[in-house]
Parts: sequence; C-alpha cells; structure tokens
Amino acid sequence: MDQASIEVRDLVVRYGAVPAVRGVSFTVGAGEHLTLLGPSGCGKTTTLRAIAGLERPASGEIRIGGSPVFSSSPRVNIPAERRGLSMVFQSYAIWPHMSVFDNVAYGLRVRKRPEAEVTSRVREALDLVQLGDFAARSASKLSGGQQQRVALARAFVFSPSVLLFDEPLSNLDAKLRAEMRVELKELQRRLAITSVYVTHDLEEALAISDRVIVMRDGVIEQVGTPGDIYDRPRNTFVADFVGSANLIRGRRRPDLESAGLVVLETPGGALVHGTAPGRPTGSEALMAVRTVRLRLDRARPAASVNAWTGRVRQRVFQGDFTQYHVDWEGRTLIVRSAAAEALAEGDEVYVSVDPRYCVVLED
Amino acid sequence: MSPTPSEGIARARSWWPGPRLVSVLVGGGAAILVLYPIAYLIQASLSVGDPQARPPEAYGFDNFTGLGRYAHILGNTVQVAAVATVLAVVVGFVMGWILSRTNVPGRAALEQLMAMPYYVTPLMGALAWAIIASPGSGFVNQLWRGMGGEGHVIDINTSWGIAWVMALFEGSVAFVMIGAVMKSMDPSMEEASQVLGAGRTRTMLRITLPLVLPGVLGAAVYVFAEMLGSFSAALVLGLPARFYVVTTAMYQMVSQYPPRFPTAAAMGVSLFAVMFGMVWIYRRIISAGTYVTITGKAFRPRVMDVGSLRWPFLAICLAYLTVAVILPVLTIVYASFQHLTAASPGLRNLTLANYATALSLDAVRSALWNSLLLGLATASIGVLLIGFLSWLIYRSRLPGAGVIEYLLMFPQAVPRLVFAFGMMWAWLVFPLPIYGTLWLLLIAYVTVFLPLGLRTISGVILQIDRALEESAQMCGATWGYRLRTVTMPLLKPGLVAAWLLLFIASVRELGASILLMGPKSKVITPAIVESWFSTSTELAAAMALLQTLAVAVALVIMFAVARRAVQGGGE
Repeated sequence: MDQASIEVRDLVVRYGAVPAVRGVSFTVGAGEHLTLLGPSGCGKTTTLRAIAGLERPASGEIRIGGSPVFSSSPRVNIPAERRGLSMVFQSYAIWPHMSVFDNVAYGLRVRKRPEAEVTSRVREALDLVQLGDFAARSASKLSGGQQQRVALARAFVFSPSVLLFDEPLSNLDAKLRAEMRVELKELQRRLAITSVYVTHDLEEALAISDRVIVMRDGVIEQVGTPGDIYDRPRNTFVADFVGSANLIRGRRRPDLESAGLVVLETPGGALVHGTAPGRPTGSEALMAVRTVRLRLDRARPAASVNAWTGRVRQRVFQGDFTQYHVDWEGRTLIVRSAAAEALAEGDEVYVSVDPRYCVVLED
Repeated sequence: MSPTPSEGIARARSWWPGPRLVSVLVGGGAAILVLYPIAYLIQASLSVGDPQARPPEAYGFDNFTGLGRYAHILGNTVQVAAVATVLAVVVGFVMGWILSRTNVPGRAALEQLMAMPYYVTPLMGALAWAIIASPGSGFVNQLWRGMGGEGHVIDINTSWGIAWVMALFEGSVAFVMIGAVMKSMDPSMEEASQVLGAGRTRTMLRITLPLVLPGVLGAAVYVFAEMLGSFSAALVLGLPARFYVVTTAMYQMVSQYPPRFPTAAAMGVSLFAVMFGMVWIYRRIISAGTYVTITGKAFRPRVMDVGSLRWPFLAICLAYLTVAVILPVLTIVYASFQHLTAASPGLRNLTLANYATALSLDAVRSALWNSLLLGLATASIGVLLIGFLSWLIYRSRLPGAGVIEYLLMFPQAVPRLVFAFGMMWAWLVFPLPIYGTLWLLLIAYVTVFLPLGLRTISGVILQIDRALEESAQMCGATWGYRLRTVTMPLLKPGLVAAWLLLFIASVRELGASILLMGPKSKVITPAIVESWFSTSTELAAAMALLQTLAVAVALVIMFAVARRAVQGGGE
C-alpha cells in the first residue's frame, strides 16, 4: 500500500475572525501513526480537517507525499476528494440508505474499479473488521460498535495514502472503546498506512501512536513519543492534561547537583532530585511527578536520594489502584499505588521516587 | 492514489468556480424573483400623478398620508386579527396541553387529526359557515325563526364571524407550534419542582407556564401576522356586509373601475411593513426566549393522570374537530347535492345537477385542469429550485448564504395578494408577453411558496449530519457524484413532503391568483369564489368538493409513485 508523509507548516485556520489554529507546524513520516491530543476547542479537529481539505486554512502550507495540497502562496487548494486521503468520522457517518456492502464499496466505485474487484476487496475489508457476515445488512440496523467497524472498512478499503481519524471511539461505551483501541492498533499494524488520529483521551493516544502532539488553544504544547509525553511533560498544562501529576516547586541547589541531575529544595527543606531534559532552568523551578511513580513503603527504602517520610491522611480505593493523600512537607502528595497491601489512614510511611520521574517543567 | 504534483496544481485552479458561479446565478435569480415585484409595489405606492399612468408621473408620500381616510379598515383588520389570534392561541394551548401532557384517550390519533383543520382551508370554512350562519338563509337562523324567533341569532358576516372561521383554521397552526414546545420541555424540570415540595398547581404556574410562555408568545405573533394578511375568509364573509379588511379593500380598489392602484399599493406597502415587523419580533422571541427547554434530547413528555377529567378533555378535542372539520365538510357536501340549500331538507331537493353543471361548464373544467397543471409544475420546479437553494444555504458555506436565506423567506412577510399586486405591475412592463397567461401564475406560485418549501426541506437538511456528505468527499466523490449518491437519496422524504405541500398549496391558492389570472388562464379557487358570488351557493360547493377530490386523487397517485421511487432507491 501507498504510504505518504505529511508536512504541515505555519497552519492558521480561522472561523470568521476567531483563530482556531494559530500557526501549527509538524510532520508525519510515511507509515507513522501520529496523534493530536488536547481538550475540546484546542484546534486538533480543525487541524485534521484542514489536512483532509474539509476546512480552508487562512494561511500556511500542507504537503502530502511531498506535493502541496494547500498553500497560501502560491495559492493551491486541492479539494478533499482529490487529496487521496481517507477519514473516519466521530459520528461514523454511515449512510443509512445503503447496505453495509454499498457503504464500504463507495470509495472503490467512485474510483470506477471493476465490480469483481469491488466485491473481493469489500469482502476482504469486512473480514478484516470482523463483519464478514453483515455485507447485505442495511447500515441503519447496526449497533454503534458495528457502525464503527463499517466506517473503518470504508475508510481503508480503497488503499488511501493517509488515514485520518476524528475521535473515532468517543461515541462508544468504555468497555467497547478499550476493545476497539486494541483492534485499531492491530489494524494499523497490518495496513501500515500513515495515520493522523485526533482524540482527547490520553489512554487512546498513548496506546495507538508512534508520536503524540499535545495541543492547547490552537498551538502545539509538546511533541514526543507516548513515553516522553507521559513521563517528561514540558509544562504544567501537559503535566495536568496527560493524567495526574504532583507539582513540586522549589529553589535550585546547584551545589548539590551531579550526574545530570537537578536538585530542588522545597520551602519545607526537603531535597528533590530530578531531571531537566534539555530545558532551561532558573534559580526557582517546578517539577512534575506522576502519581503512579511515587512509592509508599512502611520500611525505609534503599534509595539514597528522594526518600522522605510522610503520613497517610486519606485513602480512596478505586479498584485497579488505591489513591493515597499523603501529608508531606506541609502539603499533600497524591500517590496511586497498585499494591495489594493497603496502608491505613494515619500510617507513617516512606515516600520515594526515582529521580528519572521528577521532571523540571518549563514554566 | 495521491495526486501527482503537476496534476494537483493544474486541478487546484478549477476548484469551486463551478458551484460558486451556479450559486451566484441562482441566488441572484431568487433575488430578482422576490425583490422585482416588491420594487414595483413601492414605486406604485409613491405615484402621486395620474393614478393610471405607468411609469408614475410624479413621486410623493401623498398616498400614505391619505391612508387616514381608511382608518376604519385598519381598525377592522386589527380587530379581526386580534380576536382570531386570541381564539386560535387558546385553542392551540388547550389542545397542546391536553394532547401532549395528559392521558386523554386516543391521544395519538387525535394528534394526527389536529392537522385536518389546516387542510380544510379558510375558504372552505368560510363557505361552509356562511351556509350555516348567514343572517338570512343560514341554517341556524332559519331554525331559530322556525322555532318562532325574530330576525337572527348569529351573523357570520361580521368581524366576529370572520375571526371565528380564521381561528378554527389557525388553531391547528397554533397547536402545532405550542404542542412542539410543550413536548420538547424536559419533564425533569417539573419533577424537580415537585421534589422540592411544590404542589401540582404551583408547579404549573411557576415552572410549566413560564417555560412554555415564549413558545406561546411566538405562536401568537406568528398567527397575528398571518391573520393581518389573510384574504379569503374576509372576502367571502365580509363582502356581502361591506365589511372590509386591508386585503379585501385592496382587492376592491384594484378590481373596481376606475382602479385606484396607488392607494392600494400604499395600503399594501403599509401592511407589508407591519407584517415584516411582526415576523422580525417573532424571530426575536423564538431565538431569544426559549431558554434551554429545547435541548435536542428526545424526552418522553411526562403524561399527567387527570383521572375522570379525561372525558371532558376528550370532548373538548372532539368539539374543536367538529366545528373546524366535520361540520364544514358535511355542510359543503350537503349543499353540493341540493337544488336550493336554504330550503328545508327533502328527497325532492336532492340533485346531482350541480356536479353536472360544474363538469359541463368549459370554464370550470379548464380552471380545474389549469390548477392541476400549475400545481404539478409549481411543485416540481419548486422542489428542484428550493432543494438546490436549501443545499446552498445550509451546506455550501457560501459567503452570503444568510442573505440568500433572508431573501427567500421574504415572501412570508408579504400577503400573497400584496405580492401579486407587485407582480402584476412588474410583469405588465416586462418584455416577455406572459401577462395574463399561466406562466405568470407559475412564477407567482413558485415565488410566494418559496418560504413554505424552504422550511420543509431545510428541516430535513439540517437533520442530516454534515459528516455524511464529508465522508463521501473523503472517499473521493466529486460534487455531482456526492449529490447524486448521498445528498439526494437522504433528502428524498423531505423532497416528497415539500412536493406535496407545494402542490396542495398551489391548487388552492386564491390571493395571488385572483389578481393575476387572465380571462383565458382561469384557475379553480377564484372560480369558486366567483360562482359563490354570482351563480349559486350550491354550484360553488360542488366545485369546492371537486377541487378537493382532484387534489386527493393527485395525491394518491403521487404517493404511489413516490413510494415506488423510495423503495426502488432503498435497495
């Protein structure tokens, strides 16, 4: 199958006078799976629709497979239907007046493929999404999950060079969503098509992407691998949005720093060792620590740094993990622990964390 | 499948101008259709020279300042409209509440039946009620005198009579509007009030009523505006008693000799200005005042158990349907089979002569045929045109789509008679010789029914998720291909409904037709009115029923064809 790279440069999209995307640049390598992640209104869907050709940008340039599909100078704007892309919509957009087969066959028939080829490729695509027996079914008589699969099959059946996903799983219930996430990843691996995926769901983004772009208010906040985004957030917005984190502010202690580590002294006098991956740091700094990276122990841990004492103030059992609110240095740390052994409220505990997971933020 | 660079750039230049050019042309065409006659109407109203001179010899506002002499006509109009509006809104509110919020027996069926008065039309209602309650020969008054009474007990040829007939008709319009608001109200708002300790009455007064009030107010303004421009009931019931409202006065001025065009035009412009204001207020109320009772969620309206009150409520519903539908229709049917309606019933009075006369008169036959032909043409052309226009307005994101929508809804604020008056002038001077032909009527019908068609079709378009078309685009389908394979099939139910509505409305049109038809291009509704006044009640009744029958037959055929088409398309 064809793979195409995507380059987006200085993209600006306005709705009337309101800028929805304010100068966004990124590239997607051929065969890469990129996710645009952010809260609603951050411009992620608008960016995706601009790539698709469904929104007309105010300025910037978009190239697909090296050739411009939109450019403000020289003026180029190739209509969506001639960009050779495909898209899965949030609302599935399954045509209710057609059968499942006709829905999936649409893109092939548009391309005037011989009917024998249409039949075999539609069958193949439906088998791939496990809807082989549903071809003759009227599309209006499908469940949400089935409609989702039809939308998927319809999107990839004609071998587009790029697949775009606009929050495709957001209308499914939690259990189905988790299943579809795995299926989607498997499908992506088999099809090996360049894809751009839009979601506001962190788990989805982490699960299916090679790289994630976090957006806010029409600009990019951070670009990185799922691991980067999760454990090395660039600023408080990313740290907050991408799951829960504790923020620790303190004064730099360059005199104690060694081996690439940064040391902060909290107002209470505790020393926190962390990293600042290529980030400028002043005399004051803010660190983010994921709640799941903090450990609670009754016995003193072996670690030489980042081990402190605290007291469990509140315990909230949440099934997969237990959330502890721990009094520490005159403030509260939130710690999520999957350990089976429960600590009791009021227990004195040791709190520790690997310095790798204490990351200095840019703001 | 990615386009090669050279191909992409070469094609990029050809993108959009096709559709854009078409939309500019069509939008411009619609503007001419709508605004051209209005311009002539305004020109005529400013003519202060020789009233017959075209174009005007001199311009001024004398015609408007001179309208003071007709203050009583304005008073009549407002009186009729106000009384009818109050009645219609009461009917609409009571029916809306009973049918959407109480467990009255047979709710579903009654709700369907509530559309019936709308199809009876004010003209049919007026003819029937004139037969029932005219002061001289009306059934009720004859009965009264038969029982030894003096004079008459009721007189339909008054402002009250006209308001009564109009209210019966507009009641079903008000019901649809108010009922929709009541149904879309989240029942949890009332439940919250009751949980917090408020009783049923208090909840009704403090929660339910304020929430539906904007909807009720909107319905009232809408009905009032419609009433100001209504024509047929005022003509049939008002003319014998020389009771005029603005529209009938205008008609009188235009059709008398010598005609007083400028004065009539000034009246028309004034009426149009007032109605325009009303429609504007209506839109403000609808857009600003509905709070968030309409959230787009589908609620199951909470049905209140009203116990034994169910039966009185049922009686109220049936009573309305009786006076608005059953009684008028039976009266017309009865009259059409009589030699002389006013005579006491008897076998010897029964006859088929009226039908024989109606069908043997060339004038009636050709009028009926012309009307059906016009209905067919108006509906077909209208649906194509309006379908395309709706798509332009709600889907194409063309700059200026809002302006086009406003233009197309414009005729709603202009009484059809007033509009026809403008068209009469406009097309009289137009180089094409279409004045006095069916072509002029066709243009008039398509224009005045633009808002009706647009409302029907846009309702369906707005329900269709935009992504359904976008996904076709992402599959690589071009504009035309998308239209044919996705947009049109999805719109089909809306298009069929719009076709039917346009057809019915055209065949029954009176206000525009009465001014625009020529001696060789008669249509049926004005012919019915003509025979009512100059030939006989019974013949008019027979003609009215023939018209209804012809519409019904045409609809049955159309339904059969449409069903085949829809089924064929669905496979």
